[in-house]
Amino acid sequence: MMKLSRRAAIGLGLGAAFAFSTVGAYAADPIKIGFPANVTGVQASLDGPMLNGAKLAVAEINAAGGVLGSPLELVTYDSKSDATVISTVASQLIDSDKVVGIIGFADSDSVLSIGPQVDKAKIPFITPGATSPKLPSQLGDQVFLAAFGDNVQAAVGAEFALNKLGAKTGYLLTDIGSEYTTLLSDYFVSAYEHGGGKLLGKDTYKIGDKNFTAQIAKIKALPEQPAFIYASSNAEEIGLILKQLRQAGINLPVVGGDGYDTPLLLEVGGAAANDAYFTTHAFMGEGASPAVQAFSDAYKKATGNAPENSFAALGYDAVKLMADAIKRAGAPEPAKIRDAIAATSGLPGVTGTITYRPGVAVPDKSVSVIGVKDGKLMLASEAAPAFVPEP
Amino acid sequence: MSQLEYIIQQIINAVSLGSLYALVAVGLSIVFGVLKLTNFAHGDVMMVGAFTTVLLIGIGMPFAPAMLCGILASAVAGFLIERIAYRPIRNAPDVTRLLTSLAVTYILENLGILLFTSSPRNFPLPDILNTSWQLSGGAITFTNINVLTVALTFVSLIGLGWFITRTTIGLGMRAAAEDMQAAQLVGLNVNKVIIIAFIVASAYAGLAGVLWAAQAGVVQPQMGFTPLLKAFVAAIIGGFGSISGALLGGYMLGALEIFIVAFMPDVVVPYRDAIVFALLIAFLLFRPGGLMQPNREIKL
Amino acid sequence: MKADLRIPLAVAAALILAAVVAFGAPHVVGDYFVRILLLIALNSILVLSLSLSNGFTGVFSLGHVGFIGAGAYAAGILSLTVQQKKALLPHLPDLLNWFSLPFLPATLAAGLFAAILAVIVGYPLMRLSGYFVSVATMGFLIIVNVVLINASDFTRGARTFTGVPLATSLPWVLGWLAVTLLVLSRLVYSPFGRRMKAVRDDTIAASAVGISVLRARLVAFVIGAFFAGVGGSLYAHYLGSFSPNTFYFAMTMNLIAMLVLGGMGSLSGAIIGVICVSILSEVLRSVERGFTIGDITVPALFGASQIVLGFLFILIMIFRPKGIMGDRELTFGLSGRSANHNQKEGKDR
Repeated sequence: MMKLSRRAAIGLGLGAAFAFSTVGAYAADPIKIGFPANVTGVQASLDGPMLNGAKLAVAEINAAGGVLGSPLELVTYDSKSDATVISTVASQLIDSDKVVGIIGFADSDSVLSIGPQVDKAKIPFITPGATSPKLPSQLGDQVFLAAFGDNVQAAVGAEFALNKLGAKTGYLLTDIGSEYTTLLSDYFVSAYEHGGGKLLGKDTYKIGDKNFTAQIAKIKALPEQPAFIYASSNAEEIGLILKQLRQAGINLPVVGGDGYDTPLLLEVGGAAANDAYFTTHAFMGEGASPAVQAFSDAYKKATGNAPENSFAALGYDAVKLMADAIKRAGAPEPAKIRDAIAATSGLPGVTGTITYRPGVAVPDKSVSVIGVKDGKLMLASEAAPAFVPEP
Repeated sequence: MSQLEYIIQQIINAVSLGSLYALVAVGLSIVFGVLKLTNFAHGDVMMVGAFTTVLLIGIGMPFAPAMLCGILASAVAGFLIERIAYRPIRNAPDVTRLLTSLAVTYILENLGILLFTSSPRNFPLPDILNTSWQLSGGAITFTNINVLTVALTFVSLIGLGWFITRTTIGLGMRAAAEDMQAAQLVGLNVNKVIIIAFIVASAYAGLAGVLWAAQAGVVQPQMGFTPLLKAFVAAIIGGFGSISGALLGGYMLGALEIFIVAFMPDVVVPYRDAIVFALLIAFLLFRPGGLMQPNREIKL
Repeated sequence: MKADLRIPLAVAAALILAAVVAFGAPHVVGDYFVRILLLIALNSILVLSLSLSNGFTGVFSLGHVGFIGAGAYAAGILSLTVQQKKALLPHLPDLLNWFSLPFLPATLAAGLFAAILAVIVGYPLMRLSGYFVSVATMGFLIIVNVVLINASDFTRGARTFTGVPLATSLPWVLGWLAVTLLVLSRLVYSPFGRRMKAVRDDTIAASAVGISVLRARLVAFVIGAFFAGVGGSLYAHYLGSFSPNTFYFAMTMNLIAMLVLGGMGSLSGAIIGVICVSILSEVLRSVERGFTIGDITVPALFGASQIVLGFLFILIMIFRPKGIMGDRELTFGLSGRSANHNQKEGKDR
């Protein structure tokens, strides 16, 4: 999906220390859950916080007596954002470590890499952060998403623009260098046009680009100015895009997906980030819900810094989801756990309540729309979309 | 917005981008000129300068002194790289040296990831540099950091011109670039010349790194790679090893990239990098000396 | 000449042993170790194919992974089922969308595709020498990456190419490794191979005695690309899903490290390099996540493995620039004469 955040590795070190210390007070053997994480490479800024969140959840569960009388143990390897390493790590987890379930990854690519193996070994797999709604149909019935699908968040973004911003015309800027941004744009186009919006133009750039002045000059040269811009961007670029837009005198609202959800949006964007809106999993700023606040405090205590982004919370929720399923399964057996996950209903989490409809491995969750006002994040709306594009 | 304003805006964009490419390419060319080394680690020396600057601003140092310290840090990094990694293999074949520089890149980048994680960090630019100028009723805009980039490119290059034409060491560098063996025969201290060339080139990398990061708004350990690739193209178009060539190549590349995005049809735009690197290959094949050294022969 | 034939024989004997391992291993050891073995064999094919141009002919290409990527995508497109093509690649031209090839023909086609690409690219580029050819081939790699990302009718663009059947198994890879080794050892230790090495060691002298430098380089480049394409197909059928960035600089760096460590002028060296780097990476990957011995807890230092490999690489460059094997071959004692012969050749440089 994208990347972001800071000090994740230091946090990881600390996290590792407290994870180690919690196992051992139990007489029973620990229940092993695999957690492959891309803590180095392009995905590090998402997977790092996610791993910290997961470790926090494990520590909490173990402090409260574990699951079925056994402590949980998170077996972690660095999969280095590399498809080959991911497949090796998967076999190591399944074959050598004998985990009963696997949780991992914030991007669809990595999930696609591990998918065939979990399907073959019939090990239930939850991805906390990947949001492509096509994953379960591509990879079989062991794969579950803990987050909403990109089709849902794109639809919420489109409806927010149409109804709350009153923007009947738009301009689309897409990062064509990643699966997440391309997919998000496709869903956005169908939802926005379905809702009666009209796109006045489209442009592209590639992840890693630093100069968007040429694309911006093109927007200014349009015969009719759009009412808003949908920028399907990853974390590194969005602050910069906003800055360069505002410097060029374009003060239109900019809407996007959960790729914006990092401190970089405000740090890099500064005042230019005002009037930017994004769809994401949970609102973690001032005045957040008590559940989020409690998570935030615990995370700060464990790692020394506030949650870098909502992926920390998603990692936390995914572990709680897995633990809940193991409890309901009654035994740490993969097949039973898988069925228990599929039957999850009304499980409260930091990022919303998780329910799987029968046969659908993407949960129905509400989407938070967060806006920037006076240099601060605020909850602009929380909604489920009226129309959702086909995955 | 009129067509003319659009063109002027894109020219401004091209000059600003070209300045950055030129700065990186000049450093690359100095090292190549003296050592005949394609220094892949140049981009990571940029990263060292940019990170130092960000960390110093983070502890409260103002922008200008922090930037100078960043440049200094790059120079020191360049010095150390030369002493530790490159000097032992100075007389090895081209490919060995190229590979060593790749390994240095690999180490510096991963060291950066280990120390700072691969997540991007904000580059805190003072507000004054973020201020933008609006001309022609807001149709044409540019910011103070653009102005600063172009100005520093010119000032530093004039300084470099003075250094290599008026000082003994600078002249020695040019002599070594022309013919290392002859320079050695007439009593030139090769070690000194090489180390100075490395320090100068790395200081350039530091300056380029800070300006690049300032415009990009973020620093991260792998930030040096893209500018390095672009600078290779710029340096080769201009004439690898020629400082004026690197300057020319940098501006030409900046102009070409902006031209493709601004004026080419939408189907072509995503192929920008492919066009740029195809141009690189074409130059290597048909005009290996680049624009500045038309008679250079590097074929079989 | 007789001596030259013994290397293939030695290799073949070793490979028969390996074949026994290939079919036996899955029953004896777990999936994880089978995968490590498979990756070692697969990377051996890739590094061997790289050694032909970079090691034996002295054309240091940084674009080899471009051929691997081209082969992977070509094989992937050919072996998707017709239904998958309709779902994943709806804009695929009619020429390609009505059939689906089995593993072996798809792999051969991938090799051929990469080889044809190598003829087109190599014909101009093989005129360049030294770092210029390195930079030019690096340009080729970048162009391949850009094309893979943008030719989305064929490749799905930056989105993951998925659904390739997981057909690559240990016997398949070892079989292809045997073919690669046989072809390469026949080629490298033939008169034509000596011409390649002459071109590498002294280009001017080689052309002075009538050797066509371009031809020698082009043959090495194209044959190398064929096996790179084959390796790409094996990779595609191993991973099942991949994206353009799977075949980019990280893989380039990895293969070069393996080649240089093992020795650039030696087939057995290439394989030894792969084994050393693979095992080292695996060990470091398990160590870097932190461990506890008694009361001492070593915290996780993710990323440390890459740094250790980088330093090792530089040390090799400084102290043993020819790698572990240099120009020598490991012949399992079956052909002492051949080894001597090679050493003599090594001295000629």
